[in-house]
Amino acid sequence: MTDAPHTMNRRQLIRHSAWFGAAVGLAVAGGEVISHIAGTAEAKQVQARPTLRFAQVSDSHIGFTGKANPDVAGSFSQAIGRINNLGYTPDFVIHTGDLTHLATPEQFDHVKQMMTGLRTPHVFTVPGEHDSVDDAGQKYLSAFGAGTRGDGWYSFDIAGVHVIALVNTLNLKKLGHLGVEQLDFIAKDVAPLPNDTPIIVFSHIPLFAMYPDWGWATGDAAQALSYLRRFSSVTCLNGHVHQVFSKTEGNVTFYSGTTTAYPLPHPGDGPAPKPVTLPAGKLHDALGIREVGYIRGQSALALKERALQ
Amino acid sequence: MTFVDATFRIGIAAATAVSGISHAYLYIHGYQHIPTIGAAFVLQASVSFAVAALILIGGPEWLVWAAAMLAGGALIAFALSRTVGLLGFSERGWQPSPHAAVSVVAELLTVGLWVAYLVSRRRVGARG
Repeated sequence: MTDAPHTMNRRQLIRHSAWFGAAVGLAVAGGEVISHIAGTAEAKQVQARPTLRFAQVSDSHIGFTGKANPDVAGSFSQAIGRINNLGYTPDFVIHTGDLTHLATPEQFDHVKQMMTGLRTPHVFTVPGEHDSVDDAGQKYLSAFGAGTRGDGWYSFDIAGVHVIALVNTLNLKKLGHLGVEQLDFIAKDVAPLPNDTPIIVFSHIPLFAMYPDWGWATGDAAQALSYLRRFSSVTCLNGHVHQVFSKTEGNVTFYSGTTTAYPLPHPGDGPAPKPVTLPAGKLHDALGIREVGYIRGQSALALKERALQ
Repeated sequence: MTFVDATFRIGIAAATAVSGISHAYLYIHGYQHIPTIGAAFVLQASVSFAVAALILIGGPEWLVWAAAMLAGGALIAFALSRTVGLLGFSERGWQPSPHAAVSVVAELLTVGLWVAYLVSRRRVGARG
């Protein structure tokens, strides 16, 4: 063979460059078209209001003192400001637990006082395990338990959506735990609902097995989810893991939310989920809030993660 | 270009386009809201469409390799999302149905046709 197979003359180089340029150009144009279609579809959805819009905030850990975040109250205050400046008034705000770090009366007073600054008609909460460190959640219930059932669970309907707030941080050993009484509540609560009712479930600990070795799962969640399988759209939002994560199992989608306090390691990254100290200036990129929108007739909720930065 | 070459190219272009359509559909219908994954879906779709179109009009062989790499990458991402998770994203089994299955079949077909294309060209080269 006389021709070296891998050498390229000037003309070939120009030709390949032209093809490469065409590939890049077409890809950019294609991306623009897809984004435009997606934007148009979303704009149509926005026009399709009235709908439900709410914000999720989680794991404020008021009272935490550590170098991972020396000012958790300041971060939580920023989160409240972020929610108050979304450009609309959310229908409600849900705090998915670990409002306080050590469940002292002062910390509950502090966080409750701060949350009065949220500009929304309703503020809902579920307890985290940090909110019930020494009294099985009694101080939490005194501060936030008004109108709830059992040990703090409840449900309500808003804009055609059925919302269930669960408590899986009491009686927990390693994994989250709902218990027989609460499971019975869920079964009876959803029994009269038609299958096309959109369901949103709040809990602190994930209802899916995100990382059971670190307790990032709920032992008896399968029983609870079995009551929800018949519904066409079920969305479960949780806190506890201090990071964004999502998982879909059939008709049920799980979304873990981030924190306003300090990040935790990714699942299995290290021996235990200890607070992670980020380099200076990086902390607020890891903290945030979540906007959630529901359009009538859509099975999936639209989520937007907003960093505190 | 031989008839066999043209057939392989049409097959690879079609399978790549199907995978792109599937990713674009999911992006438009909700995945755009998933951090990082949404951007990856629109990138996969737009590059798939570009590569498929250029393969079809007789572009150089590296485009066929690009289609195979794209399909291989998508299959790896699919496997990760069903096992250890991918950039904080995880799904189970063949959800969302039928798009997950359609994508995987199209991507496996792309990789299979690419291998067959290489073998066929090597045989032709050996004969020539």
